Amino acid sequence: MKKITRLLLTFGLIIPMLFVSTSSKAQKQVDELKKEQDTLKENVTTLRDKISGVEERIATAEGDLAKLTKIKLSGYIQAQYMHYEASNAYPSNVFMLRRVRIKFQYEPINGVVFVLQPDFLPGNITLKDAYVQLNDRWLKTFSLFAGKFNRPNYEVEYSSSSREVPERSRVIRAIYPDERATGAKLEIAPPKIPLKVQLALFNGNDGLTILDAAGVNINPLNNDFDNHKDFMGRVTYTFKLGQIGALGIGAHGYYGKIKANTLDVLNSDYTYNRTNDNIGQLVKKNWVGFEAQLYFDFLGGLALKGEYIFGVNGTPGYTSKSSAVSPMTSVIKNDTLTLTTLTTITTNSRPAIEKNFQGYYIYLIKNIGKRHQIAARYDYYDPNSKVSSDQIGIAKWDAAVKTTTTDKFTYAGTDAVIATNAQTKTVVVNTLKSGTSDIKYQTITLAYTYYFDDNIKIMLGYEIPLNKKVGVNDKGVGNVTTAYAVNGEPGVYDYSNTIKQNTLTLRLQVKF
Amino acid sequence: MKLKFGIASIVMLAILGFAFMPAQKKITVKGSDTMVILAQKWAEVYMKSHAETVVQVTGGGSGTGISALINGATDICNSSRPMKQTEMDKLKDRYASLGVEIPCAKDGITIFLHESNPVKELSLKQLSNIFSGKTRNWKEVGGPDEDIKLYGRENSSGTYVFFKDQVVKADYAANCQTLPGTAAVVNAVSKDKLGIGYGGAAYAAGVKHCAVKKDDKSPAFVANAETVKKGQYPITRYLYMYLKNRPTGEMKAYIDWILSPEGQSLVTAVGYFPVK
Repeated sequence: MKKITRLLLTFGLIIPMLFVSTSSKAQKQVDELKKEQDTLKENVTTLRDKISGVEERIATAEGDLAKLTKIKLSGYIQAQYMHYEASNAYPSNVFMLRRVRIKFQYEPINGVVFVLQPDFLPGNITLKDAYVQLNDRWLKTFSLFAGKFNRPNYEVEYSSSSREVPERSRVIRAIYPDERATGAKLEIAPPKIPLKVQLALFNGNDGLTILDAAGVNINPLNNDFDNHKDFMGRVTYTFKLGQIGALGIGAHGYYGKIKANTLDVLNSDYTYNRTNDNIGQLVKKNWVGFEAQLYFDFLGGLALKGEYIFGVNGTPGYTSKSSAVSPMTSVIKNDTLTLTTLTTITTNSRPAIEKNFQGYYIYLIKNIGKRHQIAARYDYYDPNSKVSSDQIGIAKWDAAVKTTTTDKFTYAGTDAVIATNAQTKTVVVNTLKSGTSDIKYQTITLAYTYYFDDNIKIMLGYEIPLNKKVGVNDKGVGNVTTAYAVNGEPGVYDYSNTIKQNTLTLRLQVKF
Repeated sequence: MKLKFGIASIVMLAILGFAFMPAQKKITVKGSDTMVILAQKWAEVYMKSHAETVVQVTGGGSGTGISALINGATDICNSSRPMKQTEMDKLKDRYASLGVEIPCAKDGITIFLHESNPVKELSLKQLSNIFSGKTRNWKEVGGPDEDIKLYGRENSSGTYVFFKDQVVKADYAANCQTLPGTAAVVNAVSKDKLGIGYGGAAYAAGVKHCAVKKDDKSPAFVANAETVKKGQYPITRYLYMYLKNRPTGEMKAYIDWILSPEGQSLVTAVGYFPVK
């Protein structure tokens, strides 16, 4: 019994004690849990803040990235090996960089584009394109360009990175030197009609080489030097020929004038046309061209492209004056000693000339599979269609040399025995003769291109320029020749023969 | 000179020989994500009956597909928008060809809303305002007083371009979340009560189709075979296949089959609308 009582007492004491201890433990656990909860809450808040921070940073980074997507970079490098067959070429084979271009395009807002394209050729960094383009956002039809950009012409606007042969045709190189011009252009291209109209105003002297009497180009920076602006217009339309292909046709016109730099202006055949009132008057640069491009699906792509251009291309002349004083001479006549000084003023003039020209080119291009392309081009350029080949070297305008002498005597008093005479002699030389710049050329170009992929292609091109034989007559009169020297060895090009000027080009192009 | 012409002629003739080499029977198809399901279905069914032909289909977007066609990385490009003039020019420059355009199905771009969204119809003007960011609250178009959440496609997508050109007619709002594929747009809208998205009709499961009206006075239509065929649904478009040149051999057989009643029946089965 005692044992039972002792046991009960023991339990009676232990159990409450256990309860007390358990409840305090539970309380502790609750407190710990609360603490943990608070810590967790804090952690969650901290993490939330951190996530918000990251989100903000991502939003900022996305904003910055979005800005970067407004900048587009493209460009291409053309590295090539060339072998010249011309006798005056030295070295006759070279490795060279033809193009090193990067095009930066920035579109800050929809419809406004800035374009900058420098050419990074070693030792000759030049700015090729630099223009602002404003696109109409509503009709998506009109675009306005201002700055320096390609003249509106098929072969000019066709990038050399896409061209199927190494160089543009001779007529295009002659009338659109350097391809680009500075001015403004309006393009009209309705989105659902394959029609494009281009209207442009340019300074008109871009890329031209205008020589002075010393043979120095007075137009190196292409800054405008007359008030006349040249107008260009081009219209193209493409007809779809079902699944067979398409035919694109178009026409373009150039209406321009350029400062004559001289008084006399000649006709294309070297006859006299007019005398201007002053050297600031203008000579004509007017021509029109018609183009067509036929794309035909025949065992893969086949294209036939051509353009015919004719008109009048004015070339400025020059006028330069020089003077020389001869040593004093003395003469005694009637007891009077006359001391004479002679000043000779020579005016050298090359008249401006408005030459009628014509030229055309035809391309035949065949794609074979995905990687191969062969192309052939025939191009013709007659820079002066009013002077026949047998007259080149003979046709000329030669104003007779005019010499005028004036005396100006000064006497020292009425009974003078000494007189001074300031004598002035004026000599005017004014002449222009037909020559190499009038020679017709027909050029055959053959090319094969292998496309490694979209970025890399290799082209093998062979250009065969054939000059029209000129100045041939029995008396040997009028033969056109050009002297040259290679490594001190003199040579002469005689254009009464066909001059060998073929060029082989092996080009590697990388485009991105 | 004669010798060089001779050599050049031989080289060119040798190269011409490549043109007559037998074509492989593998056809690669790349482009529009909108058309992926349809293109895969075509490929799957065609290969069952033409065991000798392998048709490989990938997406990436219409722009990506057209680039691949220009690069020579695909035989057929699927595009949910017409090829742009600049792209055609690239094809012309590269292959002396304008490419071949084959409309192969019709689609009604569907406006997706969350199933709980009380808005039932929207006009083209309202859609333009919503996706350009001018309208930011559902209250302005008859919904709850809550911000609108925009879901759209990436800019390489033909659907993105088509919707922008035909409906938005301005830049997309900066807060429009871009997603890779119509399926992702549908998925996002199905989980977001305040979401609105657009995409091809074939993907619209688990979301509400919003009826669309040309203007405030016009009746609203939901995209379906009848409204698309009758031209009542205002946001319809063709889905295209583009090729570099006219198809020949196996490629021609495949395309002819796609345009045949059998191929066009799959268009309907997938959720688009046949061209004929």
